[in-house]
Amino acid sequence: MNRLYTELAQAVAGMDETAAERLAEEIVRQGLPVSEALEKGLEAGMEEAGRLFENEEYFITELLLCADAMDAAMKVFTPLLKTSGKPAKGRIVIGTIFGDTHDIGKNIVALMLTGAGFDVLDLGRDVSAERFADEAVRFDADIIAVSTLMTTTMNNIRAVIDVLCRRGLRDRFRVIIGGKPCSKSFADKIGADDYSASAPAALRLVKRIMREKYAE
Amino acid sequence: MDVFSPKERLLRTLNKQKVERPPVICPGGMMNSAIVDIMNKTGHTLPEGHKTPELMTALATDVMENTGFENFGVPFCMTVEAEVLGSEVNFGSLECEPKIQKEKYPSVDKVDFLPPGMMSKAPRVGTVVDTLYRLSRSNPDIPAIGSLTGPMSTAASLVDPMPFLKQLRRDKENSHKVLDYVSGHLIEYARLIAENGASVISIADPTATGEILGPKMFEEYAVTYINKVVDAIHELGLPVIVHICGKMESVKPQIAMLHGDAISVDAFVSLKGIKREIPDATTMGNLSTILLQFGNPEKVEKTAELLVNDKIDIIAPACGLSTSTPLANIQAFTGTVKGR
Repeated sequence: MNRLYTELAQAVAGMDETAAERLAEEIVRQGLPVSEALEKGLEAGMEEAGRLFENEEYFITELLLCADAMDAAMKVFTPLLKTSGKPAKGRIVIGTIFGDTHDIGKNIVALMLTGAGFDVLDLGRDVSAERFADEAVRFDADIIAVSTLMTTTMNNIRAVIDVLCRRGLRDRFRVIIGGKPCSKSFADKIGADDYSASAPAALRLVKRIMREKYAE
Repeated sequence: MDVFSPKERLLRTLNKQKVERPPVICPGGMMNSAIVDIMNKTGHTLPEGHKTPELMTALATDVMENTGFENFGVPFCMTVEAEVLGSEVNFGSLECEPKIQKEKYPSVDKVDFLPPGMMSKAPRVGTVVDTLYRLSRSNPDIPAIGSLTGPMSTAASLVDPMPFLKQLRRDKENSHKVLDYVSGHLIEYARLIAENGASVISIADPTATGEILGPKMFEEYAVTYINKVVDAIHELGLPVIVHICGKMESVKPQIAMLHGDAISVDAFVSLKGIKREIPDATTMGNLSTILLQFGNPEKVEKTAELLVNDKIDIIAPACGLSTSTPLANIQAFTGTVKGR
């Protein structure tokens, strides 16, 4: 493997924005394939950051800074992606449920999914059930990811499922949930497809869902 | 048989004196127990109750009488401080707590440092402290708790939390300036609370978790500024409860550095473990709010009994309650601790 990829991964996991940008430029200058740099540089770097987070060597602030380094490199790659196109890995609509404005966890999940090469549409916070459904249709999403931090608003997630059912859209999307008060049993109870407890776990879950989808 | 009044019991516990049984409380603020069941029953409702001392007093009284919690706890949200300092608040509805609609500043270097005196001029602070005055005057045996939003959470309600968290590492100088500024205003608010008859101040700082900050930054920022506020409140002569959310493994030594008189924790933290590791800590918590919301009275009673048997010093919900929590579950909780 080209050492530039490894160094890019290290720059991302090491929260080094400047190095990440410089390495991305070098990769482009040498004419290396961008899709490979995304996978072996950025995705590998964010995976390492996720591993450090799960080992409690990194915390949320560190993950955010890794994502900034990833973004700096991504900015260099993006113009080239538009011309060369890239294989679709999966499309995810994500947001914090209505009534709730806590979005740090949701943002980190969105960043990690983006880093792993998924197409992510972040609807932001305080998002209505109707908007989740509308945007998922418009974006042609595979997965709708809904987050909440508060016990008061966790019940609102059910409204997303209800709207999808009412519009006959439930089978078109996988609905996954997350956030502090949520659990697998709560996901089952409200009829969501799955739950994950952390951002790295959410990334694994999305990968699993997309693998299953393409295996069908 | 109860020997002490609810106020004596809570104050004695916070002062590490013996009591006949633990108090069972819910301090308000982040741990607001103005649930829909009660508001529908009494007609004193939110969001109106956030705005006038008459309604806030009536609702706080309804909550105390209906839930069986042995205290008054106001306000019913954690937006007062950031609103006074400039952020935009959405007052929510009967079912949903107020929230910060938009943080005032995009980053720590853009914060305007408003002069001292903002808190005493603010109508919302006036509502809270007037309510505390009324409640403490008419109910001398029941502790009135004034709830403060902690310095980290107030700062993250004033500055967009995403840049804020990154700047804690990238722009330490301005981060410290903002936290020092916020702490100064919190101390001013605490002084008004203390002067108007509150018995205890409770600080909840949900942005200051081990999971978000990790041990180094938890110590550098959360411990420093929470302690600054706590020390100032101690000078005013009031005891302080500090609530820390989330998992704690990564910040246990830092938790021991907090100057609060009691440490309140989330449901998945073992209070027995905290007692073992910090022997002189006064522990508070930690009945799962998920259980309170979705469980039944029998399960709630069993779990509450475990907390009593584990000799938790102050028994309370583990975190913010859902406003849709059934009243019967809360009554089962408080009734069990009181031995009924």
